[in-house]
Amino acid sequence: MADDTGLIGKPAVRIDGVAKVTGEARYASDEPVPNPAFAFLVTSPIASGRVRSIDQTAARAVPGVLDILTHENVAGEITPPKAPDQGKTTTTLESDKVWHDGQIVAVVVAETFEGAREAAHRINIAYDVQPPAASFDSPGAQEEPRKLGPEKKDPVKGDFATAFAAAPVKIDARYATPTQHHNPIELFTTTCVWDGPKLTVYEPTQTMYGLKAGVAKQLGLDPANVRTVSRYVGGAFGSKGMLTSRTAWIAIAARRLKRPVKLVATRDQGFTIATYRAETRHHLQLGATPDGRLTALRHEGWEVTSRPSGYNVGGTDTTARMYACPNVATKVNIVHADRNTPGFMRAPPDTPYMFALESAMDELSYALNLDPIELRRINDTQTDPIDGKPFSSRSLMKCFDQAAARFGWAKRNPKPGSMRDGDWLIGYGCATACYPSNIGPAAARLSLTPRGKAVIQLAAHEIGTGAYTTIAITVADRLGLKLEDVKVVLGDSDLPPVPVAGGSNNAASTAHVAAKACEEIRAKLAAAAVAANDTPFAGLDPATLKVTAAGLVGPGGKREPLDKAMARVSGGPLEVHVENAPEGLKPGALAGLYQGQADMVRGTARKDVTAFAFGAQLVEVRVHARTCEVRAPRVVSAFAAGTIVNPLTAYSQFMGGATWGLSSALHEATEVDPRTARYVNDNLADYLVPVNADVGSLEVIMVPEEDNRVNPMGIKGIGEIGIVGMNAAVANAVYHATGRRIRELPIRIEKLL
Amino acid sequence: MSTTSPAADGPTRRRLFEAAAGLAAAPAIAQAAAPAPTVRKSGAVDVVLNVNGQDHPLTLDPRTTLLDALREHLHLTGSKKGCDQGQCGACTVHVDGERVLSCLTLAVAVQGAKVTTIEGLAGPNGAVHPMQQAFIDNDGFQCGYCTPGQIMSAVACVKEGHAGSDGEIAEYMSGNLCRCAAYPKIVAAIKQARGKMERG
Repeated sequence: MADDTGLIGKPAVRIDGVAKVTGEARYASDEPVPNPAFAFLVTSPIASGRVRSIDQTAARAVPGVLDILTHENVAGEITPPKAPDQGKTTTTLESDKVWHDGQIVAVVVAETFEGAREAAHRINIAYDVQPPAASFDSPGAQEEPRKLGPEKKDPVKGDFATAFAAAPVKIDARYATPTQHHNPIELFTTTCVWDGPKLTVYEPTQTMYGLKAGVAKQLGLDPANVRTVSRYVGGAFGSKGMLTSRTAWIAIAARRLKRPVKLVATRDQGFTIATYRAETRHHLQLGATPDGRLTALRHEGWEVTSRPSGYNVGGTDTTARMYACPNVATKVNIVHADRNTPGFMRAPPDTPYMFALESAMDELSYALNLDPIELRRINDTQTDPIDGKPFSSRSLMKCFDQAAARFGWAKRNPKPGSMRDGDWLIGYGCATACYPSNIGPAAARLSLTPRGKAVIQLAAHEIGTGAYTTIAITVADRLGLKLEDVKVVLGDSDLPPVPVAGGSNNAASTAHVAAKACEEIRAKLAAAAVAANDTPFAGLDPATLKVTAAGLVGPGGKREPLDKAMARVSGGPLEVHVENAPEGLKPGALAGLYQGQADMVRGTARKDVTAFAFGAQLVEVRVHARTCEVRAPRVVSAFAAGTIVNPLTAYSQFMGGATWGLSSALHEATEVDPRTARYVNDNLADYLVPVNADVGSLEVIMVPEEDNRVNPMGIKGIGEIGIVGMNAAVANAVYHATGRRIRELPIRIEKLL
Repeated sequence: MSTTSPAADGPTRRRLFEAAAGLAAAPAIAQAAAPAPTVRKSGAVDVVLNVNGQDHPLTLDPRTTLLDALREHLHLTGSKKGCDQGQCGACTVHVDGERVLSCLTLAVAVQGAKVTTIEGLAGPNGAVHPMQQAFIDNDGFQCGYCTPGQIMSAVACVKEGHAGSDGEIAEYMSGNLCRCAAYPKIVAAIKQARGKMERG
């Protein structure tokens, strides 16, 4: 818990800031390797069919070409990869089968990048083409209800059908969200280096141990012989959260050549060799009393996936729990198409599913003639409506109240189309944001020198979240050190494991293991000190002693220099290796961590409480009365997410999330050609993401919240929540400005004409 | 009710890319009188690149971009590859003081010019440039991948005289994408560094 004396909760500039502004920070493709050969991928221009023949003559004639991998020469060399949900997924060079557009069909390796690229373009591949199913409604697309494991079921409560039929006020509406791609600015790169039986993989990843275990399994290697290195990740947002096909092929290419091989996939290849946010559809039904109490809620979702994969995000786990409602029904369907397998993208379930719920809530507020914030207040609850558990804490209305005050919500004239500034129609919209609070097991190695310098090492991930700094803050806080006296080493699978950096668990998982390591050092020093005769602490309760930079400190200001206290337990630096298994973790989850598994204590699946962070997002849009151009000059977001370890970097992350939300609502969509099932706008000029001049005022309020039930340090996590309310808040504001309800994202001019 | 209208005169994506492309073309003119590279029988060319004040003789495939020459041949990996097609700005360096997209610039085209990368921005005593410090102070980045390009653009933006207002900074920094979306903090950093650069 943050306190006035500690460092947790005080803004601190990033300890890796100098490395990042000077170019010293080493991202995976920056790692120097001796004499690398360069790989270039060849990807399929068709979405369904088979490779009929491959003519390599012209490609082989390009000077410097060293090797060409196709299914003809490497098919049997790997075990196929897993989907993000660990189920089946599409294959690449395992066979002649083409599952989707842009599938890897060959890997060319040459002395130079330029030579590899030229040869890749000179390979002549003939295909047997099948007509592909691109998406929903395509001929050949196959719909089925999602399959749930034995431990999971669709959230349901009461009797929806009866309650909805009887409801005096009803909303019954359908919503849709488009395909989206993460597009981190760092490309998908892989560099593989063999040293005898040992393989080192330099690849940007959110899962050091998942990548290590996955590659080992695919190649049939002992995981002890695989090392993954990813000291800095140049943006991830979920896209680097799982093993993809490219890695094993680059490892095999390097093994065949007995030489390091380096791949930097192109921007357009990134759209098809990694994952994406699948397009979704939603059917929302709400029933309410005339005074605004929800009596019935049904949410059915449809999500696209690849042919073999059952991957889905299933955000009904969230939407069913958002408001007090006695009768709830939910269902999730998947639609198989000839597409690459989707995966995690920032707030994977919540971003699309909360768009539907929060849009429907806004529609309900108009049907009831209620202020949309008041509608949420009426239906606010401290109890999980599905299973009756208390929320660990829920400060949703505090968030709305603080955001509304800051925003000037009171000035809103509720009538749509009533607020205008010259040619610009003005709209105010709001929505709830939320994200489950997750925490996973983690391990770390911490050493402290007699001069008060600490080094903590763990295979955690710096993806922009400020992980180096939050971990340093925790250690400095607990050992009473200055931030600059703590060194943090991350991003190497030779270090102790932590879970995937996703699902907003990173800060909680790493802070708790860091704090536990500090406690172990304190306890060792304290136990030795109270047992010795040559200290001022002899015979005291060891729990009363604290470690600080000045030494061991006890009650009444008694102190002993650190070197003296440490000499008692270790000759030099004192090192501890600790593991932290949060309460409620499944048996075996800690052991699974070392195998690259990511079992966590999930906020929606706990026995004691339901744990979410909550927020409120308020947006002003301006829609040009004649051109229908939409602008969002002002966003105020308030979040209550428990302990905020570093408010400086947290602000950046919340703000970035809100910008992602603006982008999702107004700009982003990957266009899928319905005839060919190919991505059309697979580059950064045509896939619209905001530039500097696109963003206006983005205010973030961090609502203080103490939560001692979510986990001991009260950390709920913040990476995902910033985007969650924005889709609906923008759409609701557009409705307020124009009277036009846009139920399909993104809200571009053509939808308002 | 606020009466400020949104940036109706704000930049369009197209204008920004035109601006970026224009900047990329600048060194081509500057080096018109530069020595021609020597072409070997293999097709490789011998060039001398002046980077961060040092001459580097290199033998390159003539198709090698300045970005790949920096990263793969000189091991100056601060300049980043984000798209390799002039759309993101992560590869921005200075050529003869002008900001340039190094992925759209052939290495052979800058022989005779002075190339400055993020690694060459710090002072001779190793002190970070005021712009680098301002990015740290304002948390003007998250993952840091676009940051070298942002900083090279930001230094140029101030030197060009395009940092007069928040709107002008945002306009002239819109060729550098930041997917983490640190934009308002990048503007704040440039405002902080602007004064120090002008004084210094």
